[in-house]
Amino acid sequence: MLASSSEGGSAYHPPSVAEFFPDVILFAGTPFAIDRVMLVRLLMTVVVAVFFLVAMRSPKLVPRGVQNAAEYFLDFVRKHIAEDILGREQGKRFLPLLTTLFFLIFACNVSGIIPLLNMPGTARVGLPMVLAVVTYIVFNYAGIKAQGFGPYLKNNLFPPGVPKPVYILLTPVELLSTFVIRPVTLTFRLLGNMMSGHLVLVLFFGASWYMLFQISDLWLKPVGVLSLAMGFVFTLFEMLVQFLQAYIFTLLAAVYIDGALHAEH
Amino acid sequence: MTTIQTVVLAAEETPSPVLPQPYDIVWSLVCLVIVGLVFWKKVLPLFQKVLNERTERIEGGIAKAEQAQAQAQQALEEYRAQLAEARAEAARIRDDARAEGQQIIDEMRARAQAESDRIVAQGRAQLEAQRVQIVAELRADLGRVAVDLASRVVGESLEDEARQRGTVDRFLDELDAVSAPANK
Amino acid sequence: MNLAEVAGNVATIGYGLAAIGPGIGVGIVSGKACEAMARQPELSGQLRTTMILGIAFSEALGILGLIAGFMFGGTA
Repeated sequence: MLASSSEGGSAYHPPSVAEFFPDVILFAGTPFAIDRVMLVRLLMTVVVAVFFLVAMRSPKLVPRGVQNAAEYFLDFVRKHIAEDILGREQGKRFLPLLTTLFFLIFACNVSGIIPLLNMPGTARVGLPMVLAVVTYIVFNYAGIKAQGFGPYLKNNLFPPGVPKPVYILLTPVELLSTFVIRPVTLTFRLLGNMMSGHLVLVLFFGASWYMLFQISDLWLKPVGVLSLAMGFVFTLFEMLVQFLQAYIFTLLAAVYIDGALHAEH
Repeated sequence: MTTIQTVVLAAEETPSPVLPQPYDIVWSLVCLVIVGLVFWKKVLPLFQKVLNERTERIEGGIAKAEQAQAQAQQALEEYRAQLAEARAEAARIRDDARAEGQQIIDEMRARAQAESDRIVAQGRAQLEAQRVQIVAELRADLGRVAVDLASRVVGESLEDEARQRGTVDRFLDELDAVSAPANK
Repeated sequence: MNLAEVAGNVATIGYGLAAIGPGIGVGIVSGKACEAMARQPELSGQLRTTMILGIAFSEALGILGLIAGFMFGGTA
């Protein structure tokens, strides 16, 4: 009904999944094809790498300027994720992985609200999946190395302290939850949050653009303003979600590694 | 109607959001490797180094402070010991001085006593000598006066030296014999 | 018409249904975490971490519903 009232044939296009599959810009058809999402990813990767390399190029004992900021971020991951969950020693061991996960995810999330980029690099399944697979490999490797292959599987699939018949029910559930659900949820939690967040923003800003500038119905203008305000509010909310998702992904990776390292279930 | 068809068509054309394209995976791996290497090989070792240095510096500072405190304590004790020693020495010096002073006083007193004794003895001797001299003079005078008086009284000339001397001596001896017990 | 098209997608309803459970779950998790923090403020750091983990686990279901909508919604 709204669409029919518009003029000039410019129909309102609600955002869809196609939003995340922009046209390929370079190397189309090869495994190195580049589209907007890939560009955003690469740009944010370069930004993260350059920021930390510049900030820590010659670290001083008394931090100053960018070094201070970089140390603050690094300390956040070190203290509140690695050492909180894994303890001092193991935290140090897995710190490179956790730091990489956190900052790569965070940077690629944040690109969703950076003007001109406006696209989360994690809103395509590739990056969340690769990161989840890496986490999966690492926590299984850590568990097998710490406990040995047999005991590790046994601890995970046949948790001690349960009457024997329960295993008929418990083992498939454990198998599913530890070795299937974990990486899948890691992937989809991040992907889903970023996709939906981006869709919500596109929906609000697209709607306000449409209502304010593309149609002449005056009574829709206030709705357009309201939609713009909502878009702003959701941008703030997205900032929180972007940080939180990076934090949760890294935290869960740490928790999975910790669970794999210790035999008690 | 056509718009509906295009939307549906577009939806059918878009790849599944859940299955990754090869290039998606490739670029994800590239990003992961770049960021991972930067953190693993470069940033985190530097950060760890700085943290270690900082810890060392803080611990070194604490050790230094402790050392300084120990030194100060030692200095204080040394100072106290020196003070006590100085006090003891002062007391000893005072005692010595007092003893010496006492000794000097005693010596002086003894010397003064000896001097006074000597002066008294000298005075006594002088007096004795004077007395003896006076007695001798008096004796001679008294003899002459007595002879004069006697010759005048007797009217007899006592020219004869021997007789005269014998008489006088006899008289004086009598006198001495009389006055000596009373004089003693 | 287009709006009606989108709104009429069965996947949207599916997502709405999928969001009910996790919504309640997240509410319970954070409510209980608040209670626990009020009772023992000195543990609030640990409780917050646990709370976020619990929220993440229950939220996963809602996200799966969303993804399912994307996966199967295109052909509705």
